[in-house]
Amino acid sequence: MKTPLPATVTPPAALLQGILRRWPTILVVGYAVAAFSWTMPASLFPPKPVIDRMAVGPLLLLGLWQSWDMFSPDPRTIDICVELRCTNRDGTGDRRMLSDMVAMGYYERWQKDRWRKYFNDHLRLDDEHALWQPFAEYATRRLREEGHDPVAIELVRWWRPCDPAIRPDLRADVRQTPWQNHVFHRWGVPREWGR
Amino acid sequence: MTSPWAGILRAVAALDHWVRDPVDPRPLAWFRSWLGLLSLVNLWLLWPDMPMWLGNDGVLPAAVHRDLVGGTRISIFMITGYSDAAIGIIRGLGIAGGLGLWLGIFPRCAAFCAWLAVVSYSYRNMDILHSGDNLIRIGSFFLIFARTGGVFSLPQSVRRLFFSQTSSGRQPPDSFVPAWPQRILQVQLCILYLVAGIWKATGPTWRNGTAVGMVLQLGEFQRFPIPDFLLTPVISQVMTYGTLAFELGFPLLVWIPSLRIPVLLAGLAFHAGLDWVMNVQLFQWLITAYYLLWLKPASSSPASFAPRSGPACSARPAR
Repeated sequence: MKTPLPATVTPPAALLQGILRRWPTILVVGYAVAAFSWTMPASLFPPKPVIDRMAVGPLLLLGLWQSWDMFSPDPRTIDICVELRCTNRDGTGDRRMLSDMVAMGYYERWQKDRWRKYFNDHLRLDDEHALWQPFAEYATRRLREEGHDPVAIELVRWWRPCDPAIRPDLRADVRQTPWQNHVFHRWGVPREWGR
Repeated sequence: MTSPWAGILRAVAALDHWVRDPVDPRPLAWFRSWLGLLSLVNLWLLWPDMPMWLGNDGVLPAAVHRDLVGGTRISIFMITGYSDAAIGIIRGLGIAGGLGLWLGIFPRCAAFCAWLAVVSYSYRNMDILHSGDNLIRIGSFFLIFARTGGVFSLPQSVRRLFFSQTSSGRQPPDSFVPAWPQRILQVQLCILYLVAGIWKATGPTWRNGTAVGMVLQLGEFQRFPIPDFLLTPVISQVMTYGTLAFELGFPLLVWIPSLRIPVLLAGLAFHAGLDWVMNVQLFQWLITAYYLLWLKPASSSPASFAPRSGPACSARPAR
């Protein structure tokens, strides 16, 4: 349906009216360009810096930011999980695997997918060390609620390489490869902390 | 002889018609309803851990969060500040939004509630997010602008059941509706697959055919048991190259009307398989909501969903 232009409309005004009438098309194209640029690897999309600079405000403000790069450019080649160790004032200890998904039941591993995300993809990494102490403090509060009296909290990352070969007996739940571990954060809990 | 400019202008005009011509609201209503139900499941899975992920006594205290997140983002925390009351509000918004979208009760208002709930928890702890959150956030945002209330709606069904006599003469609420929210979500799905395919195509293990085999051996994604024959180099190559072909092919092939249904069925099989072998919560389910946007309703107008009296359609038919 075309809206007839008034006889007095000048060409620039007609052009402006045409553009305004087509705002949905401009919006769809603009969004497509912005979302594509935002999610593409910088090396493969040279205009990315320019487009992202224009798109970053609206995409972040409205919650339209996104990424579609799971298992890209390559999937991980190690099995990983994160452990919490606690030493109590009476010398006893407690160990909890936080993201050992294979050890969980089917429902639990589904419900705790965000645990995997948080612990394996973020807390475990040296780049995300800002998360370590807040988590140790959170764990201390929870352990105290459970009746523990922690004097030391340790965060441990566990890993083992995946065999590059692909065979049924190399699946994580049956593979015999030994695990390695490293304590990446240790906190001596002050006696009066949080009381 | 036509110049290249004529071809380009024709393509632009066709795009303009595709975006601006009104459409049957049913695909959007199906999308809205399925997305709403899945957003409720998402909320249910997140519910017990919300104090840990989002609370001030949780894993990310306010001071740390403030240092980590930059830029202005709309969220309920703009109103509540770093208060644990926000958790209750997010839960309330999530329930209202999910139910409203699912059942078609004030659907645009519900879309706003669902969107606000997801952007709020996404803002408060970005490290717990998965791709399914992106799909809910983007889908509910554009549903704020979509007119779907008249179809696939509990209030409409109740009204039709009990008040069909009194509704005569009223304008049916489910005429053809503006297409752009549906179009933008269709384009979003194509961008998702295209970009995922491009990213993967840059990786050596995707190019040598071992990527899927490696993923299936990783413990953190392991879900239900799979037959041994799937974990062989040959099948890994088939599945790896099949994934690349599907993700790069979908955004092109889904536009061809005669191929659309086979492509969507292949996608359903692909995601059903992924959901069986891989533990990635709701992403595989949520993406099927976006598939509904590509379906063409069986009858030519949404009249069968409208009150039985009055005209069924007030605009041009959808292309």
